[in-house]
Amino acid sequence: MSSASTSAAPSPAVRRGRVWKFGDWISGDDGIVRFSELRNFGDDHDPADLARRCFAGLVPDFASRVRPGDIVVAGRGFGIPSHPPAPMALRAAGIAAAVVESTDSAFVRRSLNAGFPVAICPGITAAVEEGGELEVDFATGRVTDIDSGAVMTTKPFSPAMLEVLDSGGLVPYLERYLAGEARA
Amino acid sequence: MSLTIAQKIIARAAGTDAVAAGDYVTVTPDYTVMQDIYFWKNIKILERLGVPEIAHPDKVVAVLDHTPQAALGSEHVARNRESREFVRRTGFSNFFDAGRAGLRHLVMVEHGFARPGLLVFSDEPNIASIGAVGALNVPISTEVLVSMVRDSNWVRVPASVRFELTGTLPRGVWIRDLVQAICREYAGGDGLVQRCVEFGGPGLARLGLDSRQGLLAGMYHAGADTAVADVDEVALDYVRERAGSRPYEVFTADEDAAYDEVRTWDLGALEPFVTVPPRHSGVVPVSEVGGRRITQATVGSCASNRIEDLRAAAEVLRDHDIAPGVTMYVTPGSPGVYAQAAREGLVELFTERGATVLSPGCTTCWGYLGALGDGDVAVSTNQENYPGRAGSRTAEIYLASPYVVAASAVTGRITDPRELLPAEGAVHVLG
Repeated sequence: MSSASTSAAPSPAVRRGRVWKFGDWISGDDGIVRFSELRNFGDDHDPADLARRCFAGLVPDFASRVRPGDIVVAGRGFGIPSHPPAPMALRAAGIAAAVVESTDSAFVRRSLNAGFPVAICPGITAAVEEGGELEVDFATGRVTDIDSGAVMTTKPFSPAMLEVLDSGGLVPYLERYLAGEARA
Repeated sequence: MSLTIAQKIIARAAGTDAVAAGDYVTVTPDYTVMQDIYFWKNIKILERLGVPEIAHPDKVVAVLDHTPQAALGSEHVARNRESREFVRRTGFSNFFDAGRAGLRHLVMVEHGFARPGLLVFSDEPNIASIGAVGALNVPISTEVLVSMVRDSNWVRVPASVRFELTGTLPRGVWIRDLVQAICREYAGGDGLVQRCVEFGGPGLARLGLDSRQGLLAGMYHAGADTAVADVDEVALDYVRERAGSRPYEVFTADEDAAYDEVRTWDLGALEPFVTVPPRHSGVVPVSEVGGRRITQATVGSCASNRIEDLRAAAEVLRDHDIAPGVTMYVTPGSPGVYAQAAREGLVELFTERGATVLSPGCTTCWGYLGALGDGDVAVSTNQENYPGRAGSRTAEIYLASPYVVAASAVTGRITDPRELLPAEGAVHVLG
C-alpha cells in the first residue's frame, strides 16, 4: 500500500489501511480483549500475547488475517468499558487506527496513551465497506474513503494529542517532555 | 455568557472566561485521584523516567481500594509494600492505605478533597459521584500519570444535558432504579456519549448526599463522560464540615446555558428495575425476571456502598433470614461507613441474617473477593455485568438496587422488594 502523502516522511497523524468492520457495543473488556483472562491487572503485557488475543472472541482467526496498518471501523460504544490492555492489544495486532460511531472520552485518552489513535466519526459504518481502503488524518480531521473518494470529518486532534501520538504514547511523550523536547 | 456547570468549572481551571463544547483546553487540575494498581504502576514508571517524587504531592490522592486485602498468593502483597516504601521515602501524605481508605470515590468527599467548583482528574468515570458536592470528575484513565510529573493537562470540553428531578421515590424504589431508567433509554445509544449530565430540581433536593453520589456514579453506564449536580444547602453543609479552610466556589448554570437536551424525571413514577446481563441497556421491571434463581447477592461498589444503601438492604432483612444456597456479601464503602453501620446495629443485623460484611474496598465488583464460579447467578448493586467481570465467564450478574438484592437474597430468587418490605418503615429520603 503506497502512502497518499507526497512528502518523504509520512506523518504519524495520517493512517491509511484496509478496513475491518465491527458492529455496535464491542467493549474493551470483553470484545477487544477478554480482560478477565488477563488477571494480573497492572502487569506489563507481552505485546505478542495481546496481539493473539485481539478480537479473538469475535473473529477467531483475526490474528492470522490482520495485516499491519489495517483500520478498525466500528459502531456505537466501541471500547466501553475498557482497561489499558484493550488499546494495547489493538496496537500490538498492528492496527493503525480505529474510526468509530461513538465511544467515551476515557477510551480515546486511554488509547492515545497506548499510542493508538481513535477517531469518532458518526456515519462511518454506513459509509465504508469491509475490506475497503480508508485514510484518517488526525491532524486535519479528514476521513477519506479511498475507494469512493468520499470525505467525512472527525474532530482533529489538538497539538497536545498529536504530540503524544507522534511520540508513540504517553510514556515516550513524557520522556520527551522531561528532556525538554516536547512542543505541547 | 451561556455556560453549563461543567463548562464553568473547566473555564475556571483553564484560567479563561469562556469555553465551548468540543474545545480542547489546557487546565490546571485541583486534584488527581488514582487507585492502588495505577499508583504502583505509575511509581514504577516514574522510577524509569528518573522522576524521584511526585511533582505536586498535595494535589495527588492515591487510594488502596482495589487490593487492600492483599490476598495470599497475589502479587499485591509485594506491590503494596513497594507503594508504602515510596510513600515513606518521599513523604507523600495523600496515600490512603488499608484501614484509612475505602473507595477513592468516598475518600474524595469524606476527606474534603472534592469541593464545589473543583476539577478532579481521575482514572475512572464512576468517580463522577463527586459531582454530588459540585466537583467535576474528568476521567483521564492512564493519564493520571501526567499529574505526577506536572500541574497541567488537556481536556475536551463536554457538551451537557440537564436532568431535572421531581417527586419522591416510592416505597421499595431506590436511586439505582433511576440510574437504570436512564440506562434503559440511553445506554444503547449515543444520547449521553461525550456529555456531562447535570442534575437539579426539587427531586434532587430531597435526596441525601449518599443517593446523589450513587446516581452520579452510574451515569457512565448510560454513556456519559461525567456528571455534576446543583449544590444546595444539604451539599454545602456536608462540604463545610470537611473542607476546613480549603477554598471552593459554587457554580450554577447560566439561564441561557446550551444543553443538548433538557428533561424531567419523576422519581415517583419509578419502579424496581433489574439489568439483565451482559449489557447496561438490558433494563427490565423486576417482575420480568422475578423467580430467577440466584447463588450470590452483593451490596457494595461505588454505586451503592454508602450508609443509606446499607440501611435500605437492612430494612428488607430486618425480619427475614437469607435463603439457604445464597451467599450474601455487604461491603461498606469506607471505614467511616463501616463504623456508622456498626453503630446503627447494621453489622450485627447482616451477620445474624447470614450475610458476610467485607472490609471496605472494591471487593466483589471485580471479583477480588467473593469471585463467581461457573454457572453462578449473582444479583448485585455492583457496576459492571459483562462476562467474566467477577470471575467465571459463564456466571451471570444481574444489577439492581440494594432493596432488590436483599429481597432476592431472602427468597433465593430475583424478587420485588415491595413483596417483603414491611408496610411501615423508615423513610429513606432525607430532608
